[in-house]
Amino acid sequence: MIDVIIGGAIIGAIFSLIALGLNLQYGVTRILNVAHGEFLMLGAYVTNIFFSNYGMNPLLSLILSGPIIFIIGILIQALIFRRIISISRSAEELEFRSLLACFGLLFIIQNMVRIIFGPMPISNVYLTESVFILGERFQLNMIVSAIMSVALSIIFYLVLRLTKLGLALRAVVEEPTGAQLLGISIQKMHSLSFGLGVLLCAISGTLVSMIYTNINPYIGPQYTFIALTIIVLGGLGSFIGSMAGGFIIGYIYYLSLKIEPLIVMAIIYLFLVLFLIGKPKGLFGR
Amino acid sequence: MFRRIGEKIIKSINVTSTLMILAIPLLIFAPYFLTDYYLSVLRTVLLWLALTISWHFFSGLTKYVSLGSAGFFGLGAYFTAKYLEMSYRGYLPHIPIPLVILIGGLINFVLASVIGLVTLRVKSIYFAILTFGISEMLRNFFQWWEIRITGTRGTYLPIIFEPSAIYYSILASALVAIILTTILRKSKFGLALRMIGECEEAAVHIGVNAILFKTLSFGISAMCIGFVGGCFTTRAAYINTDIAFDPLFSFLPAVMTLLGGGQIIYGPVTGSILLSLLEEYLRAMYPHYFLTILGFLFIIIIMFMPNGLIGEIEKIRSKIKK
Repeated sequence: MIDVIIGGAIIGAIFSLIALGLNLQYGVTRILNVAHGEFLMLGAYVTNIFFSNYGMNPLLSLILSGPIIFIIGILIQALIFRRIISISRSAEELEFRSLLACFGLLFIIQNMVRIIFGPMPISNVYLTESVFILGERFQLNMIVSAIMSVALSIIFYLVLRLTKLGLALRAVVEEPTGAQLLGISIQKMHSLSFGLGVLLCAISGTLVSMIYTNINPYIGPQYTFIALTIIVLGGLGSFIGSMAGGFIIGYIYYLSLKIEPLIVMAIIYLFLVLFLIGKPKGLFGR
Repeated sequence: MFRRIGEKIIKSINVTSTLMILAIPLLIFAPYFLTDYYLSVLRTVLLWLALTISWHFFSGLTKYVSLGSAGFFGLGAYFTAKYLEMSYRGYLPHIPIPLVILIGGLINFVLASVIGLVTLRVKSIYFAILTFGISEMLRNFFQWWEIRITGTRGTYLPIIFEPSAIYYSILASALVAIILTTILRKSKFGLALRMIGECEEAAVHIGVNAILFKTLSFGISAMCIGFVGGCFTTRAAYINTDIAFDPLFSFLPAVMTLLGGGQIIYGPVTGSILLSLLEEYLRAMYPHYFLTILGFLFIIIIMFMPNGLIGEIEKIRSKIKK
């Protein structure tokens, strides 16, 4: 019982960090980034460069890999999505086009990583010592990852609530035109939120690669799907929603992993569909 | 009554239908004058054409973007493969293959209708995500089924088909999909769907039963995709979940429609023919970099051809007219 409570919470914390980036991107830019999981995979691979070549601590290497991924994200936004935003006449058109462009990104990143690093699985397994919590055994890396995820989410939330930057971001989410009238640069906010979303996802990729040994070029879509489920469940664009959704899906994931590990995705999907019948806008959706 | 039908037929004869009527004999006799390689290229083009038109029938008209084609395609393909294998081993009765494919399509219709009833109430982006999940769920389900219940990985088809038989089965499914959706698109049903796409609230106000029509057309579109999937099975001696539920089957129809562009049916037709030929060429020439090139191509099409090929041609034509 305690095993499920803590294990589910650990997975939930990591999932909510994965979903947070996607939610930020969608909330601010209206781009539903289906290549989100690819950035998670990319983050794990970039960390692996430092880890396997120089034996660098994965958490420490985030200082190096973080800026790289952040710049990649901003470049992608500037090169691709800025133009798509400018040619789209309505919000729906933008959503459809950027969705398809993200699929293009998905194929490119997946294929390039496979070509450069090969199809064999990698991992940055780190801190494998056991820790006992209330008599149940957990790996230290799971605990550290969960704590880091929660800490990052809280920092992010505080930035969003307490700083001027956060205020500007929230204004763009609520009312893009009004925000622009008040002198907030929409383009800056778009690049920033896309870059931040990619960065958060890459950090969670590093955390995931510390725990699991099966990081390969094809794991992306699975995490994208989980992140999408979480933000739909919590309500698109809602911070609290994506945290709550993350923990709900975390528990479902952990439980179904215990009962039947091969059918986890189908169970999550079924849960999502049943949930949306009752609450079509998600938990905290507007 | 016959006179009315006759008049209708004469009225409906125009460039499109003439082209179609001329093309059909050519397509039917293609195996007699094409080599096996070109026949397989033609087969691929027809496959994508059928998929794109089936996808367009729902998503193009109602503007609800479905990303679940791979799920329906894979279900059609997998059902056919599994049934053939089971009946060969004697677990299930032998029935003609077209009937198996038909049943696969009908299963798709039922599944899509159920999913549609639930998901078509939610707004467009939620719908895209939910349909995206269908194919993941079905793939996951079949993987689980194979590992836990049958203990196999993938399915070997008990029968190897002749190239011409494969070609004819895919041609048949393409014709069924094209003719069925064309007839429906021209009917009042199609008009209602287009209206839902233009402005759903207005459509509901003048008495269009939006949920019923959306669900039905989603089901019909899925059924046609399932037929194509079932016929696709005849092509492969071996099929597994990664082949049948390849995400490309979901995304390429959407990109092909976007490449073709335009409001009319020429758009998806042109787009699917061009892009499938290009895809076939790239796959053969650069097997390793194929997906990267395709990804860049996706993005370039979306960035620089927002109205699609037909849309651009229409623009030029209207400029000349002025």
